[in-house]
Order: sequence, then structure tokens, then C-alpha cells
Amino acid sequence: MPARLSSRLGILRSFATSTRHQVKNKVREHQKLFQEDNGLPVHLKGGTLDSLLYRFTMTITVVGSCYSVFSLVKAAFPQKNK
Amino acid sequence: MAHQTHAYHMVDPSPWPLTGATAALLLTSGLAMWFHYNSTTLMTLGLLTTLMTMMQWWRDIVRESTFQGHHTMPVQKGLRYGMILFITSEVFFFIGFFWAFYHSSLAPTPELGGSWPPTGIHPLNPFEVPLLNTAVLLASGVTITWAHHSLMAANRNQSIQALTITVTLGLYFTALQAMEYYEAPFTIADGVYGSTFFVATGFHGLHVIIGSTFLIVCLLRLIKFHFTTAHHFGFEAAAWYWHFVDVVWLFLYISIYWWG
Repeated sequence: MPARLSSRLGILRSFATSTRHQVKNKVREHQKLFQEDNGLPVHLKGGTLDSLLYRFTMTITVVGSCYSVFSLVKAAFPQKNK
Repeated sequence: MAHQTHAYHMVDPSPWPLTGATAALLLTSGLAMWFHYNSTTLMTLGLLTTLMTMMQWWRDIVRESTFQGHHTMPVQKGLRYGMILFITSEVFFFIGFFWAFYHSSLAPTPELGGSWPPTGIHPLNPFEVPLLNTAVLLASGVTITWAHHSLMAANRNQSIQALTITVTLGLYFTALQAMEYYEAPFTIADGVYGSTFFVATGFHGLHVIIGSTFLIVCLLRLIKFHFTTAHHFGFEAAAWYWHFVDVVWLFLYISIYWWG
């Protein structure tokens, strides 16, 4: 990272309105995390939040599929109202 | 540990294609449920699963490229082909709506009064907000090019500023167009004029929103140092898409707003 960005003058020179608190370059840390040899697939390699998001997504996918099939079967056999 | 001896990317097994396909099922059946049985549950589930799938799938691609280094030159070439083909397919999508517009407007039927615009329709003045919209999108095309060149020149501040201005212009266009829609003296139900106008400009507006979202993601990645001076395909893809959106607007403006 260029020295000018880490100096106080560099911070002042950053695009003031959006990066007043200097954004740190965390790419190296992320590269280390995602290249760790732990056998995890990329969609779970980030940690606990990944698992939670995956479980939530899969749950609504399964629930939605069941509801969709149920709705379509129900729609296929209309009840005649007397 | 075994290493691959080729430059291609063999992806990890992923659940997102399955959740994405299911999302499509839920969206379509959800639409049917909404239209015919006045129930929005399925459609909402469909929108939610679509959103979750998109976010996690694209998050994974960022991980595979920026953090795992899988996007070698051959892989990037494939992605370039892919984006070009996708944009081409979208061009054809819009050609359909332009075809519909010209079909109805070049030979107006007696039912319309034999004229275009049809009798009773008061079209929007093309030299008011639509002209401003044209200027806004053209300017955004300039600022995104400025952002790109700044990125390639390792000028962080300017690239962030230019991309931010681009996003702002995109959001400004959307706001102006929303206001135009609200204030318009005609609706989508006003014959074929209303249909062609709102379907064509409506789909364009949706693409502006999609493009703006893509640009916002690029802006966040730019701030987080994801892009290098030589490797920033995500940004280039967003820029290509944005220029496409701009060009579609120019055709819309000339055909529907001005000539129409």
C-alpha cells in the first residue's frame, strides 16, 4: 500500500466524503482465509455466517418447492362451489 | 497435495444452481398464484430465493477470483465471451419491443384514428425531462470511462470519485423516470401506445436499476482494493452493461420519444 495513503496527509487526500476513516486493504487476509487447506467448498469457507445463510436459503428453497407443488396440484383440481 | 496442470477453473460443488432453478419455479408459479388466486406468498418466496441465490453465487465468484486466484487469462477470456453473449441476447430482447413499436406506429390502424400518436394521446415533450435523461446517461458514460482510465492508472481517489458520480447519475435517471411515470397523462392501458411506451421504457428502467446495482457492487469492491490496474474484469463487465443500457436509451429516445 502506497505510503502516501497511510500518512495523515494521505488520509486527508482520500475522497473525503466516503473514506474519511481510511479503508484498510484486507485482501491479503481474505486470500489467506480462502486458500486455507481445510477441504471446505467456497460457499462455506468464510465461516459460520456462510453456513447460516446457506441453511436459510436451502430451507426456503425446500419449503417453497413443496408449497409450489401443493399450490399447483390444488389449482389442477378446482373445487366446484354449489 | 495434487495440483492441476491446466489453466482452467474446476469449481467447487455449489448449491446455488439448484436454489436458482427452484427460485425460477417459485417466481413463475408465484406469478400464476398472484394473477389467478390473489396470493403473493409464492412470489415473495421466489423473489427472496432469487435474491439469496444471486448474492451468494456472485459472492462466491469474488472469492474464487480475488481471494483464490482462479481467474487466469483463459478463464477471464471465457468470462468475456460470456458477458458479450449475454449482452447480445439482451439486445435481441429489446429488438422485440422495438419491432412491436414500429409495427404499430408505422401503419396506425383506423381504430387509433389513423395517426401516430393515436387520437387522444398527448405524448411527453421530448425536449423536457426525456432530454435531461439523455444528458444524464451520456454523462454517466463519460464518467465511467474516466473511472476506468483512473483505475488503470492506479489513481485510487479519482477512480472512486468517478465511479461514485456514475452511480449517482444512474440513480438520478431512475428517480427522474419514476417521476415521469407518475406524472404521465397516459397509462399502460391506453391502447397500443401505452403498451409499447411503458413496456419498452419499463424494461429499460429495470435494466438501469440492474446496471446501477452492478456498479454499486463494483464501487464497494473498488474501495476494498479488489481490483488491480491490469485485472478488473468485474468492473469492465459492469461498464459494458452500462454502455449497453445507455445505447438502448438513445434508441428509445429517438424512436419512441422523438419520432413517436
